[in-house]
Amino acid sequence: MQTTEEERRGADGAPPPPAVTMRGITKRFPGVVANERVDFEAAAGEVHALLGENGAGKSTLSNILTGLYRPDDGEIFVDGRQVHFHAPRDALEAGISMVHQHFRLVEPFTVAENVVLGDHRGEGRTFRLRHRAIELRVAGLSARYGLAVDPRARIWQLSLGEQQRVEILKALYREARILILDEPTAVLTPQEAEVLFGTMRGMAAEGRTVIFISHKLHEVKAVADRVTVLRGGRSLATVPAAEATPRSLAALMVGRELGGGGETRARAPGDVVLQLDGVWTQGDRGDAAVRGASLVVRSGEIVAVGGVAGNGQRELAETIAGMRAPSKGSVRIGTRLLRGGDPRAAIAAGIAYVPEDRLGTGVAPSLSIASNLVLKSYRGPSASRGPFLRLGRIRANAVELIRRYRIAAPGPAAPARLLSGGNLQKVVLAREFSGQPRLLLAASPTRGLDVGAIETVHAYVRDAAAEGVAVLLISEDLDEILTLADRIAVMYEGAIVGETTRAEASVEELGLLMAGGQDPRAD
Amino acid sequence: MNNSLLVVVLASGIAYGTPLLYGALGELLAERSGVLNLGVEGMMLVGAVIGFWTVQRVHANTGLSLAVAIGAAAVAGAAMALIHAFLVITLRASQIVSGLALTIFAGAAGLSSYLGNDLNLADAPARNQFHPIFPASVQNWPVVGPILFGQNVLVYASWACVVAVSLYLTRTRAGLNVRAVGESPAAADAMGIKVVAYRYAHTLAGGAFAGVAGATFTLAITPQWVSGITGGAGWIAIALVIFAFWRPALCLVGAYFFGALQALSPQLQAREIRLGPTELWTNALPYVMTVVVLALVSSSGARRRLGAPASLGLPYVREER
Amino acid sequence: MRTERRLRQPRWLLVAVPACSLVFAFFASGVVLLATGHDALSSYRLIFDAAFLNSGALGQTLIAATPLAFTGLAAAAAFRMRLFNIGGEGQLYVGAITAAAAGLYLGGKGGPSAFAIAAMVAAGCAGGAVWGLIPGILRAFFKTNEIITSLMLNYVAAYLLTYLIFNTQSYWRETKGFNATVFPTGKTLPDSALWPGATIHLRGGIVLPLGAGIAVLVAVLLWALYSRTRFGLEAQVLGDSPRAARYAGIRTRRKILAVMAISGAIAGLGGASQVGDFRHTLDADPNGLQKQYYGYTGIVVAALARYNPFAVVLVAFLVGGLQNAGNTLQGADFPSGLVGVMQGIILFSALGGELLVRYRVRFGRAAESAIPPATEPAA
Repeated sequence: MQTTEEERRGADGAPPPPAVTMRGITKRFPGVVANERVDFEAAAGEVHALLGENGAGKSTLSNILTGLYRPDDGEIFVDGRQVHFHAPRDALEAGISMVHQHFRLVEPFTVAENVVLGDHRGEGRTFRLRHRAIELRVAGLSARYGLAVDPRARIWQLSLGEQQRVEILKALYREARILILDEPTAVLTPQEAEVLFGTMRGMAAEGRTVIFISHKLHEVKAVADRVTVLRGGRSLATVPAAEATPRSLAALMVGRELGGGGETRARAPGDVVLQLDGVWTQGDRGDAAVRGASLVVRSGEIVAVGGVAGNGQRELAETIAGMRAPSKGSVRIGTRLLRGGDPRAAIAAGIAYVPEDRLGTGVAPSLSIASNLVLKSYRGPSASRGPFLRLGRIRANAVELIRRYRIAAPGPAAPARLLSGGNLQKVVLAREFSGQPRLLLAASPTRGLDVGAIETVHAYVRDAAAEGVAVLLISEDLDEILTLADRIAVMYEGAIVGETTRAEASVEELGLLMAGGQDPRAD
Repeated sequence: MNNSLLVVVLASGIAYGTPLLYGALGELLAERSGVLNLGVEGMMLVGAVIGFWTVQRVHANTGLSLAVAIGAAAVAGAAMALIHAFLVITLRASQIVSGLALTIFAGAAGLSSYLGNDLNLADAPARNQFHPIFPASVQNWPVVGPILFGQNVLVYASWACVVAVSLYLTRTRAGLNVRAVGESPAAADAMGIKVVAYRYAHTLAGGAFAGVAGATFTLAITPQWVSGITGGAGWIAIALVIFAFWRPALCLVGAYFFGALQALSPQLQAREIRLGPTELWTNALPYVMTVVVLALVSSSGARRRLGAPASLGLPYVREER
Repeated sequence: MRTERRLRQPRWLLVAVPACSLVFAFFASGVVLLATGHDALSSYRLIFDAAFLNSGALGQTLIAATPLAFTGLAAAAAFRMRLFNIGGEGQLYVGAITAAAAGLYLGGKGGPSAFAIAAMVAAGCAGGAVWGLIPGILRAFFKTNEIITSLMLNYVAAYLLTYLIFNTQSYWRETKGFNATVFPTGKTLPDSALWPGATIHLRGGIVLPLGAGIAVLVAVLLWALYSRTRFGLEAQVLGDSPRAARYAGIRTRRKILAVMAISGAIAGLGGASQVGDFRHTLDADPNGLQKQYYGYTGIVVAALARYNPFAVVLVAFLVGGLQNAGNTLQGADFPSGLVGVMQGIILFSALGGELLVRYRVRFGRAAESAIPPATEPAA
């Protein structure tokens, strides 16, 4: 499928319309405007990068383009014709395919079977499947685009990089003209990423449009023709990649005024509470998610770890909280080595953990608020006597905490899942604080909360620090980090890549670090 | 030599194993799409009673009347399966409970007996029944005579079904799709495959097969109606599917193995042979073996080849925003 | 039709839906009856009388209900924690085997011996617990699907039961007497191992079997375990959210083993009750214990009772009544199989009603923002 420029020009020789045009796209979710009047355009034959930090709106935009969401406002044009997608299938038929971060592959099937699954044309069309013919076609595509993978291999036998190639083959098999890749290098080694870039350039050279979503500057510089930067749900600028520098891109990505933050604290931090030394931890997908992270947090100080989601923050938090065991390196609380992979040891050592996924991990949703409030302390004398629970005490405890933290709830016996996000977070915080922790580990604590709730959570965090608790805040929200933190570190590709104090921090530097600006591969 | 224990047991084993095979093939199809149906016993019984009733009522020549009866049994089984399908696919009820409810509803203390009683089916033997189709001279050939050529058309049809189901699953697009639905409904849905439609279709097909299995009892094996005539064959069929690791060819092997075991008992008694403990082991061995193998392959790659369809027992809900 | 998960389940819904399901079920059964030429109302009347009102009916109902209470409690104990133990059938058989052994060994002449009976109870629990631990271990350590393994073990237990009486001169088998070799049966339990019943002086005396009393006690204990102990809290958390359980430091594997053992023990106790209360021997008759499907029916009882121990006892009583009526009324006038049909319809209605409790149903397509239909391509 090689459409030349000439073929795509109209009869009057006007320049061909862009492959994709999105105009004035707006999409709202309860409490947040994910995309606000976003304009985006990508031409045929180009590799176009979509750059932005968390919450900038990249995923929403691509989900709209692939038909998963419908925009509240705005129009979409493919090759100059307006389109309306009611379901993902419509987008597929318009020639738009997406390779997601989480693959949609059937594990026991072979590569060839996955590629042809659900296809209504070509070899998949016949009632009888001719395996040889399919395998040959897949092998042909694979050779042509440099996507080396054995068509007869089963998915569970393949590495993540190879599985990604299968996803791309699926799109090519369907003759996708517009291919969207969502953070594709998250699962690749640097060598595999190079191969991927070659594939992307090859596809673009044929006249396809490749849109890829990323937050890594060196990638953008390496492979993109143009870059569109999104921030806060808006599209800020579209620049040719060759003209942009890491600094200029980072500035666009995170550019904001250094707001009035919080008051500076006069008190000096105390003893070391948490010490991480070269921690390595495996991720869910078999690769190392945390690669040699080292960090120190002292009593009374708030250390924030920033970075774009997916760089190992969650795995780092889970390592400290004992839900994952480190494969290398050590975690120390005070001077004592913390036993890895044992949440009870972490709880006993005084680590309070407010997880990112509050409804899925932080509480048991069907259980009462009162039960959730003793989720970690039920073994202690205040909540149980021998094997029996002291229900009266538990209830009284709940009533007290509800009052103290002003949790809006129907009552202590109500199931936790009834609570709004803010109140649920208060329950988690109330529980964690009531255990007199030495370390408060909070991961994205204000995600999805309204302004009032955010203020409340920030206040609790500050109070904890004031009382001498060591606070490690892992957040994707740069504003929050700049407001709360005494010291700021950035996590990129599993390691802590830069540390600075709030006074010395510059937003541009942080943005650069978050986007891999220190990476020697960036220009 | 055709009266030797081995030959008799094998020949009867195939006969007794045929309803097991039909039932297992049907359940295999349903489970491959991710739906566990524990109501096989009930569906078989309803198929048995409807098939019997049809043959008593349809006054036509033997072949036609039997064909219509089998068809009616299949439809009856599918109708029972429709209840289960509606409850678990559309209403997202628990597959275990719904299947057990179906067994109670349709089983020996339920609908099948109700119909059998009301229609006075226990009064007379079947008007027509399936007989071996090869002439007696062929049936008397040594060894293969009784075993291979002494069977009725339902047996031979079951062999064709094994081949058909096997080819369907491995060589056709629809078979690929249904396997995808059973392994990963989310991936299948993302590829535009209609998960709900496939699950309905295969659950109903499972019911149809179960109905035919039941009719095998009342039209071939013991051509009369007795309440509860299947005697637990539905439960064995469920176990068979697991024992065969969800493969049609192994279902055939397993069905005849169980059938032979069933045929063995009375033969041993008649010949006054005692096996003692061996009999317990041979009976229990398939189940024990299945459990052991399933446990061993649980966390390795082999599980993907030998294990249950990954979405078995779980309802599918498309996450939408 | 679209469904959305409900966040809150209003109280009235929790009562209204089962009530409506029941009404619907009676209605539907009535239709079936009428369609086949029977008088619905009088059939219902007959059933009710046979189950509860006729002389001796309550006693019979208790006999039918007792095993269902045990297997129902066993299923509830496990299913509440999302452990789908469908091996209650086999666990009951094994419990019967071990309890019969204890009874045969320790019993003697004379009135009921507390020692022998207690031993039978303990043995029944132990046997069932062991049988339940097998799928438990496989699930906890090998992550094997417990539905399949517990199901398979039912068949093994059935063969074991048959084997002990039919194929061997085992301890359980009656070897004396004329009939012994011709028709194998189990040894009758000695007198002191027979479980006594309490006679309630109402309506001419109703016998409450010991097993029934034990079942109620087990229900109380189970309820207390789940709502009043640390174990219960941990089990609830694990059943609700395995990730939250890990987060809280709950030891998952031990819980799984413990719950499967408890569930198996209760079912095994049901088997002990069968031997001690009712059959007075190890009943391996293929048309006896094995055809009753107490284990599977118990699962259904538990589901109807929403896995609440007290409700399980109540539902077991009601279902037992229905079973009793079915047995008693079998005859020319009364449609046999009606009991199963009614039970089935009740179950189907209850299952369907569950959807309404858990989800909110909307019809038609979701409301969307106004998007004009696709326009013709621009030049």
